[in-house]
Amino acid sequence: MDIYLQQLPQQLINGLTLGGVYALIAIGYTMVYGILGMLNFAHGEIYMIGGFTGWWVLHLLSRNNIPVMNAALVISLMIIIAMGVSALVGLLSERFAYRPLRKAPRMNLLLSALGVSIFLQNAVLTFQGAKTRVFHVSSLIPESFRIFHIGNVVISFARVLVIFITFLLMALLTVLVKKTKAGKAMRATAQDLEAATFMGIDVDRIIVLVFVIGSALGGAAGTLVGLLFTQVDYYVGFQAGLKGFTAAVLGGIGSIPGAMLGGLMLGLAESLAVTFFPTAYKDVAAFLILIAILIFRPSGLLGEKVPEKV
Amino acid sequence: MVPPSSHPVQDRKKQLATWAAVGLVLAAAPHLMPDSYWLRIYSMTGIYILLAMGLNVVAGFAGLLDLAYVAFFGIGGYTFALLSSDQFGIHLPFLLVVPVSALIATGFGFALGSTTVRLKGDYLAIVTLAFAQIFKLLLLNLDRPINITGGVNGIYNFDPIRIFGFKIASPIAYSYLIWISALMVVAACFRLKRSRYGRGWEAIREDELAAEAMGINTTWMKLAAFAGGACIAGGTGSLFASFQDSVFPNSFDFPQLVIIYCMVILGGLGNIAGVILGAVVLSILPEFLREYGAYRMMLFGLILIVLMALRPEGIMGEIGFLTRRKKRADRDETGVLKASTELYYSGNRASGRPDLTRYKNRGETILRLQHVSRHFGGISALNDLSIDVKQGEILSIIGPNGAGKSTVFNLISGVYPPSKGRISFKGKTITGLKPHQVVKAGIARTFQNLRLFNQMSVLDNAKVGQFCRTASGPFSILFHLPRYRQDEDGTTAKAMQVLNLFGTRLTGYRFDQQAKDLSYANRRRLEIARALSTDAEVLLLDEPSAGMNPQETLEITGFIKNIRDTFGYTIVLIEHKLNVVRTISDRVIVLDYGMKIAEGSYETVAKNEKVIEAYLGRKQRSH
Repeated sequence: MDIYLQQLPQQLINGLTLGGVYALIAIGYTMVYGILGMLNFAHGEIYMIGGFTGWWVLHLLSRNNIPVMNAALVISLMIIIAMGVSALVGLLSERFAYRPLRKAPRMNLLLSALGVSIFLQNAVLTFQGAKTRVFHVSSLIPESFRIFHIGNVVISFARVLVIFITFLLMALLTVLVKKTKAGKAMRATAQDLEAATFMGIDVDRIIVLVFVIGSALGGAAGTLVGLLFTQVDYYVGFQAGLKGFTAAVLGGIGSIPGAMLGGLMLGLAESLAVTFFPTAYKDVAAFLILIAILIFRPSGLLGEKVPEKV
Repeated sequence: MVPPSSHPVQDRKKQLATWAAVGLVLAAAPHLMPDSYWLRIYSMTGIYILLAMGLNVVAGFAGLLDLAYVAFFGIGGYTFALLSSDQFGIHLPFLLVVPVSALIATGFGFALGSTTVRLKGDYLAIVTLAFAQIFKLLLLNLDRPINITGGVNGIYNFDPIRIFGFKIASPIAYSYLIWISALMVVAACFRLKRSRYGRGWEAIREDELAAEAMGINTTWMKLAAFAGGACIAGGTGSLFASFQDSVFPNSFDFPQLVIIYCMVILGGLGNIAGVILGAVVLSILPEFLREYGAYRMMLFGLILIVLMALRPEGIMGEIGFLTRRKKRADRDETGVLKASTELYYSGNRASGRPDLTRYKNRGETILRLQHVSRHFGGISALNDLSIDVKQGEILSIIGPNGAGKSTVFNLISGVYPPSKGRISFKGKTITGLKPHQVVKAGIARTFQNLRLFNQMSVLDNAKVGQFCRTASGPFSILFHLPRYRQDEDGTTAKAMQVLNLFGTRLTGYRFDQQAKDLSYANRRRLEIARALSTDAEVLLLDEPSAGMNPQETLEITGFIKNIRDTFGYTIVLIEHKLNVVRTISDRVIVLDYGMKIAEGSYETVAKNEKVIEAYLGRKQRSH
């Protein structure tokens, strides 16, 4: 038992990092779901594109794997450009693949999203190839700064960075949704799309905004994971998308705080599972927890159970 | 009794001719393939048709987003691999392994279904996806400490198979085996779709709550859909394993599931011919895109997006020459409209005299609510309500909005249980029964905000009502046993009798019309017809005349009175139009704030101070 207790703080830190990333991805799912009631299957690919964009920015700003300018600036550029590119891809997919299907049955929308997912994944495969791209983080972050020791807990700078940026983005999003006019319009549209139209809200613009924000957060997550685990390939979107969606459902799909909570819980559960199970089975543990929670709370942790009006 | 538009003998001949033609083509096809590569694709197409048929049962017929489907395929494959190879030295014959793997998969389907039956839509999707992922991880990792699944490398080198002494080894023999299996499964799916099971699933897909309230045991039917799909997938899995002579985790992974889903949605959910076409197209399309090399899968994605935008109903939806043109019974052969009276009488002739007589112990209490309360959170919707409904009477419940009228119906029909109190029907307690059990006991309802099965035909809507009065199971349906024929004939007869009560409004060419295409008033009528066709004794009608014009209101009022007078139904109705209430009620109960404030004949109630106050507000006291 002692050995588990010793590992506990370390796993908590790891879980928090992983969970933050899952939360960022989950927000994209949950926001789109909240407004369109659709499962955006392509969101994982948008995350993957964010990861690749981050890698390209780092690559273009480096010579012999050593960045040509201030590391803080490079990291900021990586994240900001990745967010921008992902947002653009999200916007385009909404415009061309989802908007024409606004009134179609939801299964169709799901299939169209699958089409986008297949398209994006194979576009990246075609133009980037199947090989894994490596982030040369070692030259980006000075050695004295790379790893902290607190007791016997090891924290890499990348983890601190990921946790910091994740929580910053989530705080910004919360302010946006709660305090601004656009946020109010978003919440209104999520409650009732038609009524929002009649109240003078340009619903199309709100939907675009939701896709842009969700995709930007997904893109940020892609680059952050690149910094953390130092690699990206064309296939990472599937697993990440699956985890993000799981987190969104766990928290109660449609609820933004739910997505944050669900992401953190999933990340922590996975990290703690490693302490007790063989690594190969850590995903099994995560999925079992999901199933158990949904069987006892069929609408997720923070999801509202809306009684059907009969 | 059969619908007047179909001719059984002719239909049967046509059907036989179609099957014969299909058989002929399939017999020749393997020999016409240019090379072994295309022969393999031909066989794989058969496998995909099988898989798509199974998924079509769960996702198409019943509308359940089951993402664990591919795991059942895998369970079938690995069952064959373990029972028919050197892995554990077990060598069972093929004809035994196929049913065993189908059964094992069915068992898992049941297990998955029963844990997820409360979950809806996307929650169901994610839980089933989680199951599929766990399955895959087990396949990948169960090679240690004991080697069961062979890990990443899978299992290979299976026993050669024999069927009734014939050795199946050559690719041509396999292609026959696969396509004959596909043909049998397709035939089975057609039979399922036309049966009470098919209608039950379709009703659940359209509106689960309404399906339950029309007497369908939705829990059981959803489990049956899961199990049915899993059964087909499991059997196909062992066929596929033998065909490939190997199994790997990759064959049963998510991308495979995506392809099968594409086939089903592209073909049109539930549309069997469409799904077959979808499976054929998507099995062959990648081969034609092969020359585009690396761009192949990109193109595939694009085609999916464009197809979904252009043909939202699937590729088969609304293609003129493929969808059978419906005969309109209101026109003769030359296309001239027949007189509607003629149509009405021919309809009556076709169905004979309706026998809908309820027995008539008029005046005895048939339905009793004793001290019933219902709270939602802190709000009390009904408070200590007691009502006695007498057999054969028309009882109206009126009251301002929010008085708890619909709540009374929801409690009686079992949509939710009362917080306190007891409801009994014919002396037996029905508190806490599920809606479908209440219908079976003999109480049927309509909904205030129309809940028809919109994509189903008028006739099928009415047929759903007979679900709880028939009992033919999958076995009688698949083999068309006498039990099935009897049930189907009875159901059709009953549905037509009931629809005939409405004269030309719902009969003739309207039998085949989709419920969503009916006028508002006709949809209200169809709701009543659907409730009548459950053979209920008590009808709960929730605002039957809402949205109708004065003429239609008169008509429906007359109709309700008429079915009581003629057949002896007991009718409880919620109504806002007071002239309707005045015309037909034997008794009126007035609710306000969840409490009964008056009861009696319309005249006494109308003079009651409290009622006037509830409707018009308190009189201003003069100073």
